[in-house]
Amino acid sequence: MTLAIFIVIAAVLALGVILSLAVSQHLQAKKTADLAGAIRPIDVEAFRNLIDPAEDAYLRSCLPPPAFRTVRRERLRAMAAYVHAVGANAAVLVRVGEAALAAGDPRFAAAAHQLVNDGLLLRRNATIALLRIYVALAWPNSGFAAERVVERYEQVSSVAMLLGRLQNPGAAVRL
Amino acid sequence: MLQPHSFLWHYLWLAPQVLQFGLALILWRRGFQRRFPVFFLYLIFEAVEACGLYGMDFLPSVSVTTWWVAFCVGLVLEGFIRIAVVGELFLHLLRSRPAIAKVGSRLISGVGAVIVLVATIAAAYVPVDTLQFAIGYRAHILQQTLYMIECGLILFLFLFTFSFGLTWGQPTFGIALGRGISSSVHLATWAVMANGGLPHSRYLLDFLNMATYQVCVLLWFYFLLVPQKSATTSAVSLPENHLDIWNRELERLLQQP
Repeated sequence: MTLAIFIVIAAVLALGVILSLAVSQHLQAKKTADLAGAIRPIDVEAFRNLIDPAEDAYLRSCLPPPAFRTVRRERLRAMAAYVHAVGANAAVLVRVGEAALAAGDPRFAAAAHQLVNDGLLLRRNATIALLRIYVALAWPNSGFAAERVVERYEQVSSVAMLLGRLQNPGAAVRL
Repeated sequence: MLQPHSFLWHYLWLAPQVLQFGLALILWRRGFQRRFPVFFLYLIFEAVEACGLYGMDFLPSVSVTTWWVAFCVGLVLEGFIRIAVVGELFLHLLRSRPAIAKVGSRLISGVGAVIVLVATIAAAYVPVDTLQFAIGYRAHILQQTLYMIECGLILFLFLFTFSFGLTWGQPTFGIALGRGISSSVHLATWAVMANGGLPHSRYLLDFLNMATYQVCVLLWFYFLLVPQKSATTSAVSLPENHLDIWNRELERLLQQP
């Protein structure tokens, strides 16, 4: 019966997760009006500075190893916070793109489709980058590269701007 | 009331199947079978199988062993169809998103392999101590194994869509939710039965299974037949301020040597 109890607990947990995700996703799908407000601004320059290998090399040469590891961990935590925000923004942009696709306006279809795909790629890269950051937190001396996240973020931002410009020509003038 | 062969027992066995036939008929008229052929096949197969087993349960010429053999054969076929339904749902989610199609396919293949391994190990540890009803016990183990695989895959599907922030279509969401609820409840009840739990009141688990399935069929009625309310009739516009900020940041980046 031990196995049965274990399986029953697992099944109840699975049911709980499925129901909570279903409810949250169902509610989320109805709240597309507030999507734009969910986007958090990202300081790309500060992020670039954080992931710059030259900065790390400079700190490594200046600081004793224990102090370097402490500083490196602090920088990695800050990096994780940035990447987390980038991933969250990517998810919002995917939903913005899907909402634009669902509206069925052929003028926005191409830009919206590109935004969805680029957003999904960014989301994937952000997840991978987060995993690498957490690994690097355990081994602060290891090398780390998150440039792809920055590149992808720039690409998605430009696509989002293109879609925004198509949907709201008035704003495009100001850009 | 909560006794085998009571009115409620007959109702819960037959009503979902009648509803499924009705649902399949309405969906056929709407051309649903072209979009979700595997789920449509599942609706038909499940209804025919359950009605067939119900009929066999009353025929005096059908022995207990024959009934369980028929149950096992139907179960294997139904198991394949149910897992194919999960594949169909996944295909619908990834079809319009080529950016994650590759990683999604790899992930579900890997997760599927792990779940099959875990389900096989769990099946191997189930005690088979009553040789008199060996076929019945084997059927319970088979149920536990198939529902474990299906439940794991559906759970992965929900986690995958959540982690990538994907939006479900209404029919896809309804099918996944119904199968998710059904597979997790059935997994729990069949695991108890397969491991010899509640030997004198198993009919209560049957009631739970049948009632859950009834709820799932009603969920499919809602999600597959009620027209989807469009959240927005116009396209969502991005906030001007954020676009400005992003543009400034990008310009600064472009100006760097």
